[in-house]
Amino acid sequence: MKVPISWLKEYVAIDMSAAELADRLALTGTEVERVLHVGLPVDDGNLDRFVVGRVKKKGAHPNADKLTLCEVEVGDGKVEQIVCGAKNFKEGDRTAVCLPGGTLPDGRKLEAAVIRGVESRGMMCSESELGLSSESAGIMILPEDAPVGTRLVDYIPFSDEVLELEITPNRPDCLSVYGIAREVAAITGAALAPEPTQDVEPRGGDSIEELITITVDDGELCPRYGARLIAGVRVAPSPTWLKARIVAAGMRPVNNVVDITNYVMWTLGEPMHAFDLAKIAGPSLNARRAGKGEKITTIDGTERKLDQNMLVIADATKPTAIAGIMGGAGSEVSDETTDILLEAANFNGPNVMKTEMALGLRSESSTRFEKGLDAEVVPKALAMASRMMVELCSGRLVPGEYDIYAEPRSEQAIHLREEKVTSLLGIVVPGAEIEAILSRLDFESHREGDSLHVTVPSFRADVEREVDLIEEIVRVFGYELIPPTLPSDVRVMGGLSPYQSAERKIALALTAAGINEAITYTFIAPDFADRLRLADDDSRRQVVKLANPLSIDQSVIRTLMLPSLLMSVATNLSMRNPDVNIFELGRTYHTVAGEKLADERRTVAGCLCGSLRGESWMHAGRETDYFTGKGIVEAVFSSVKGSFSVERCDEPFLHPGKSAYVVIDGKRAGYMGEVHPLVLEAFDIDKPVVAFEILEDALIASSAGIVIFEDLLTFPASFQDIAVVVDEQTAAEEIIRVVREAGAPLLRGARVFDTYTGDQVGEGKKSIALGLEFRSPERTLTDEDVDGARAAILAALGERLGATLRG
Amino acid sequence: MSAMKKYKDLVEELRSYEGLASMFAEAAAGIDAAGDSEAIEAARVAHLGRKSKLSQLLRSIPELPNEEKPVVGKYGNKARAALEQALADRKKEIEGVQLEHRLATEQVDITLPGEPFPRGHLHIINQTLWEIEDIFAGLGYRIAEGPEVESDYYNFTALNTPEGHPARSSHDTFFVDGKEDVLLRTHTSPVQIRLMEKEEPPIYAIMPGRVYRRDSDATHTPMFHQIEGLAIDEHITMADLKGTLETFMRAIFGADRVIRLRPHFFPFTEPSVEMDVSCMICGGAGCRSCKNSGWLEILGAGMVDPNVFGFVDYDPDLVQGFAFGMGVERIAMLKHGMTDLRMFYDNDLRFIKQF
Ligand SMILES: [Zn+2]
Repeated sequence: MKVPISWLKEYVAIDMSAAELADRLALTGTEVERVLHVGLPVDDGNLDRFVVGRVKKKGAHPNADKLTLCEVEVGDGKVEQIVCGAKNFKEGDRTAVCLPGGTLPDGRKLEAAVIRGVESRGMMCSESELGLSSESAGIMILPEDAPVGTRLVDYIPFSDEVLELEITPNRPDCLSVYGIAREVAAITGAALAPEPTQDVEPRGGDSIEELITITVDDGELCPRYGARLIAGVRVAPSPTWLKARIVAAGMRPVNNVVDITNYVMWTLGEPMHAFDLAKIAGPSLNARRAGKGEKITTIDGTERKLDQNMLVIADATKPTAIAGIMGGAGSEVSDETTDILLEAANFNGPNVMKTEMALGLRSESSTRFEKGLDAEVVPKALAMASRMMVELCSGRLVPGEYDIYAEPRSEQAIHLREEKVTSLLGIVVPGAEIEAILSRLDFESHREGDSLHVTVPSFRADVEREVDLIEEIVRVFGYELIPPTLPSDVRVMGGLSPYQSAERKIALALTAAGINEAITYTFIAPDFADRLRLADDDSRRQVVKLANPLSIDQSVIRTLMLPSLLMSVATNLSMRNPDVNIFELGRTYHTVAGEKLADERRTVAGCLCGSLRGESWMHAGRETDYFTGKGIVEAVFSSVKGSFSVERCDEPFLHPGKSAYVVIDGKRAGYMGEVHPLVLEAFDIDKPVVAFEILEDALIASSAGIVIFEDLLTFPASFQDIAVVVDEQTAAEEIIRVVREAGAPLLRGARVFDTYTGDQVGEGKKSIALGLEFRSPERTLTDEDVDGARAAILAALGERLGATLRG
Repeated sequence: MSAMKKYKDLVEELRSYEGLASMFAEAAAGIDAAGDSEAIEAARVAHLGRKSKLSQLLRSIPELPNEEKPVVGKYGNKARAALEQALADRKKEIEGVQLEHRLATEQVDITLPGEPFPRGHLHIINQTLWEIEDIFAGLGYRIAEGPEVESDYYNFTALNTPEGHPARSSHDTFFVDGKEDVLLRTHTSPVQIRLMEKEEPPIYAIMPGRVYRRDSDATHTPMFHQIEGLAIDEHITMADLKGTLETFMRAIFGADRVIRLRPHFFPFTEPSVEMDVSCMICGGAGCRSCKNSGWLEILGAGMVDPNVFGFVDYDPDLVQGFAFGMGVERIAMLKHGMTDLRMFYDNDLRFIKQF
């Protein structure tokens, strides 16, 4: 909302700079985007160089047919010789003169010059040169009563500061200059002038009811409809002052009729519409819902399809305006228009918004109506617009008016407890101060004991409850007066939950291992499932789809973390980042039959590509493989004291021989392994990638919990190494399991430290070397103890796995 | 000190037996002359070995005349002991020199980089989130989370933003296909509703998470992070909100920050405010970051609207409270100086590893 200061000052007597006013507005709830300057620059006396001049003599230029040579009175008896390119004036005309040294709104500076051999000391200005229109046929001709020699800005507001305000949706009353004036009066204490809504006398023996029939079919969508007729108007360009105002407010001057409706809208906040009476069939108007399949061509020349949820203003045959949004081209005012039907109405805000969204059409009018306007302003707007049309368009107000208002507004009153003001704000606002603030905001109040009975003005529909009044009080009273305190009575404990702490431990374990955290978009391209080679019946193809994505590449929500991370790997490789080791703590989203919302699974996932350690002058980096991934997964589990086992894995996006399911308590909770070469190809990755993805819930639940102390210090352990030869297919995990079972209770540790296949053990066999640790919490073990346990282990290995002790 | 010098007095004593002094002197000189481990060994063999003159002399004692026996025994053994000591000393001396020499030749270029141990970096968004979470944990707040695919009811309606409310149009919502009232949450506020539905006051909680809006340019990404706070209790006031925000801002942006509250509008709070913090870049004097105002807009806040309490069955005459919400990216950008929001989600390691 642009508010020119000169316009504002018509209604409120402020004596502060635009910058000071902007600060005050910002701190009381009206956001000021910026303060603009429009029109003539004000610096170094520039405004003194623009005056009202009078053409004393208009003659031919001696050296150029297209130019005129004039003598122009510029005040104080001074006459300047000016060469002019235009011819649309005569001697005696008054015009705007720029004297040498003057700077135009576009920054051009004018100096005295010799034009085709004749000196010219000044310029007679056109409207476009003064920034009042985009083009103009000649110089500007001012009214005959314009006082010669006065500064132009004192005659017409050509130089103004404009506040560009951002009005919150709860304050549509501030979408008007008068509304802002009222707000400014309340927050500064300055005097407020009455609303500029004085009416004009009707003339003539006819009446509006004889000339047009107006009805409202849908009173819910159109609570109030007011209309007047102005007959015999002369459609013409607006007077300069009005154009200047329209331009300063950021609109475009059109003609006097349209400019007046816009001017009234800007002043009072009530959008108006002017119909050409001659183009209304019937003539009759009805506010009704659009019929199925009805269409209208709006004044922007676009044909729009309407539906039954939309309110239209229809004449006898067709819709002639989309109510509150835009008029139809068919009844638009033109230069030939003589009789004008002036509409001021009140439309249902939410319905206007729905229609706007359905049509994708917003206007200055609809952005106001959508917020719900004050119906009481309808007659005021009609009065103001009628008077201006009579004064500026030579029109006649036809006697009578329509004002269809089925359910007039009832008075709103609120009970305000002073004690609630104190308890909500944490500061005592004195009663007299509360009353004074409310009164400045146009709320009437009277005291009833410790409370106030407050009557809400019609333009403040946003104030409905006690708490709304408290907001009004505190914003004018000043937030700076509220002391900063902390809640004094906290009886609960804060901090991270065990789950949240565990998540942090996981992240820290991964960074400690050298992996960087990524945060990827949760929405991806729908072809991710194909790129991951998911089977047609894979449940992970059941994605949450967006109805209105920004692009196809961000149109479905992932069911696996892998595609997001692979894309990040590809991006990094294309940026020539050599080693890409990334993880993400994120979610995957799964549709659930019969459920409205998705099943969101917290997941930790990672991709390892290149080397974890990076190359250095000391050693070459080691390329990542399955075991790097497994080591990382082990570190993750270790960070939360969890544990897992593995199962061979048949995920279509992984290497079948170098991948595993991560199994917790017999249930699959994720995977790890080398990514399938075809998947890498599909993601444009030309280096091996190891990936893992584990459900956090299961991972954290696998934690052993509180660690109970075990005495590892009092009695020393005994260590033994064994190497056994087994079938090549025998899994290391199985060997360890047999060893642990057979070695219990003295065996406390068994780990693989070497594996070997080859000639020494023969075809189809492998050797596995294990380090065994024996320990008792009660005594130092003897050689016999250890030998016995070792023998039992070897026996079990032989019996259950056919293992033989290697040489 | 050389053995010759050290054992000068002994040599005088040894003169009491013919030949012993010169034998000793010869041996001591040999030890002194030994320059490395091999020479030491050779000297030991030559002067103390089985075939050495001294050993031969000592072995010959039984054959000596009786009166000479004690003299030779005493001085001979003395000389032997002294030579063994001299040999050991000389050996140590040589080893010391050799060690010094080795150390002197083993000098490395101390300016070469160290062995690279891997260290990953947390994403700067997460680092910022953790920092904020820790500050509020210290103030007694818990961390609550909720779904990102959310119903219209929790995202809007229960937050006092019914259908047709003008505040809805500014949210640029992503809707879920095929389900009319399901969307991607546009803020973390629905978690407030879920928390209040589940629990009775007092509630002190913050709600971090991913949120989604249909917008994409240098200052908007379709996914970003918010963190909200909620305090509901019997006597929570606007003054408590102001103090809490000031404490938070000082914790995250430095002890000399000041804040100001400006009235604003949010459907779910009343009164509603926006909070500015004095610009940490120019100290309030005015700069590009603060558009010369000296203030940076950080977050929205307010006292929870009684209508919201109505949706969760709290009695606004018994409890009241405040809520606030902010963009995590904005906090990170102000703190670290990035200007393009999209960088957060490109996941370029050159960016991530900076922090
Ligand atoms: Zn600054």
